Amino acid sequence: MKKFLLGILLKVLLAGLGLFVVTFTVYMFNLDMKLMTLIAPLLEKWYDHQEHKQYI
Amino acid sequence: MKTVEKIVNPVKRAGEQSPGKIYSDKLKVRARREWRGVKDTLYDYTRWLYLMSVLGRFIMVPRNVKGFFRYRWMMSYLFVPHGMDKFTIGLRDEALRIAHTSFNFVIADVTAAIGKCFRGDRRVGNDVEFSERCVITDENSMVTFMMGFDKDKTPTILREVPTMFASNIFHQFNVMHYLDVAQQYGIPGDVCPMPEAEAGISIEDDFCVLGACAVQNNTTCDGSLMGNGIIAKRLEREYGIPTYQLATPLRHKEPDVLEYAAEEIKKAIAFVEEHTGGKWDWDLYFQAAKRVNYATRCRIAQMEINSSPYPQFFGAAFSLYNDTNYMGNSGRDPEFIKIDKKLLELAEQGYKAKRMYAKEYRHRCIVWGVQPQYVIDMLYWLVQCWGVVPLTDMLSVINTDMIAEEDTPENREQAYRDMAMLNMEMIMRNHTHGGYKVLLDDLWELCEKMNADIVMMWEHMSCKALTGMHGMFEEQARERGIHIMWVSHDLCDPRVFTRQAIRDQVNNYMRTVMREEPLDPSLEIIPDNEAY
Repeated sequence: MKKFLLGILLKVLLAGLGLFVVTFTVYMFNLDMKLMTLIAPLLEKWYDHQEHKQYI
Repeated sequence: MKTVEKIVNPVKRAGEQSPGKIYSDKLKVRARREWRGVKDTLYDYTRWLYLMSVLGRFIMVPRNVKGFFRYRWMMSYLFVPHGMDKFTIGLRDEALRIAHTSFNFVIADVTAAIGKCFRGDRRVGNDVEFSERCVITDENSMVTFMMGFDKDKTPTILREVPTMFASNIFHQFNVMHYLDVAQQYGIPGDVCPMPEAEAGISIEDDFCVLGACAVQNNTTCDGSLMGNGIIAKRLEREYGIPTYQLATPLRHKEPDVLEYAAEEIKKAIAFVEEHTGGKWDWDLYFQAAKRVNYATRCRIAQMEINSSPYPQFFGAAFSLYNDTNYMGNSGRDPEFIKIDKKLLELAEQGYKAKRMYAKEYRHRCIVWGVQPQYVIDMLYWLVQCWGVVPLTDMLSVINTDMIAEEDTPENREQAYRDMAMLNMEMIMRNHTHGGYKVLLDDLWELCEKMNADIVMMWEHMSCKALTGMHGMFEEQARERGIHIMWVSHDLCDPRVFTRQAIRDQVNNYMRTVMREEPLDPSLEIIPDNEAY
């Protein structure tokens, strides 16, 4: 039982560590914002194609 | 000329010493995040996770996804962490925590406002019952007239804040499209780009459409009045949303205008009651009044600390937090009390430990005029690059008087005058209108009180309210021996002045007039003109 619980704890710790490594890498190298710079031009095209009822 | 004592930071900053290295001319964002030493980097990382969780929770709501693809301005919110990075340049210890505590809260508040906009929006959430209870106001409206309404039963939505003002903080180019739209319809290009962009958003039909009624304010300039006219016309004639014009006296220092201003507040309250079915509650009002006074006391305490040799809470985060708390909240939300308290504790802690933002403080500066420092990381750059400490800015110099907070028959009448006073002396209008005394005399008093030797005068190219005073500033600064550093810009139109063109004016002044070298040469020229 003790071994089983330790195994689970180890897996949780390893998963947590893995998650930390991945998210910290994304954070430190600004990968989140770099990805957004790729998405933004596509979105601009999307918005440009929308029809709007302009009125003054 | 006046001089101040130079203070050298005895403690070497943890982590990297030259944050200028993280900018890249090949990217529209920074090449990487700043290494601040283990403790502060981990703290910054946890705040980044928090921001990601705020954005993640927002986008999990299906109507928010729909709104995201409907409204062009929503694209800016992809760059919220980038915006946060602008306000933490070179920061460590308490300063980093203060910037995150204040600005993260502002971000959460804006996110909630967008959520409400989409919930009631006829094109997105179309929650009619919710929309019929909402009051929409313009970006520069002080919401004192809502202090006695239940904030959940009669929500107030400053519709232009998430649409234009806040979205521009995260993406400097996002309003250019709306400026072009406005100018295509004949609005001249020399109008302040802020109300012009708002007018453009209305012309483009890119505002959320919701609310039982709207309240607009004659704030803060001719451009704002022009924009409000265009927006109100569409609101009323096309969408059938009745709009009240809260006409606030501009000569707010004259005592005889107060009764008229108080009457206007009464009429605005009656208008809201008529259209939303909400009822004014004096208990709620006086609870909010207590919170307004608490926020005022905290702000005074922060300014006292900033008057000392070791200022703690300044820069764009200070200004934006005050803006949100004083004007957008006006005591209605108790959550602000916790943040006020935490910010003051951090500032007092930093003051006791004599924490400094940079390795040297050479000058003490008051930032005056209409400011674009939200769009660029100017004030943090100023202290990191040149050791010039921006003690406070014009928009943060607001009311310091306490308002009546006990519920008595006399105080109920006084309450209208208090709301009127706060409304008249709201952010920006309290200095850009009211005569030269509030624009000039207040500045010199502040220089004296905070022991400043430099005034950085933002010269907004399209602001008619301030340009006529240029000569008076020059003359009076010379008489007092205060250095005055003019920095031109065009607020949220980066095509007129790029970020580096703005910074170069400071670089030139510091090199040629002050004969100084930068503290951190890596920051003197930053390749971020094309960055979001």
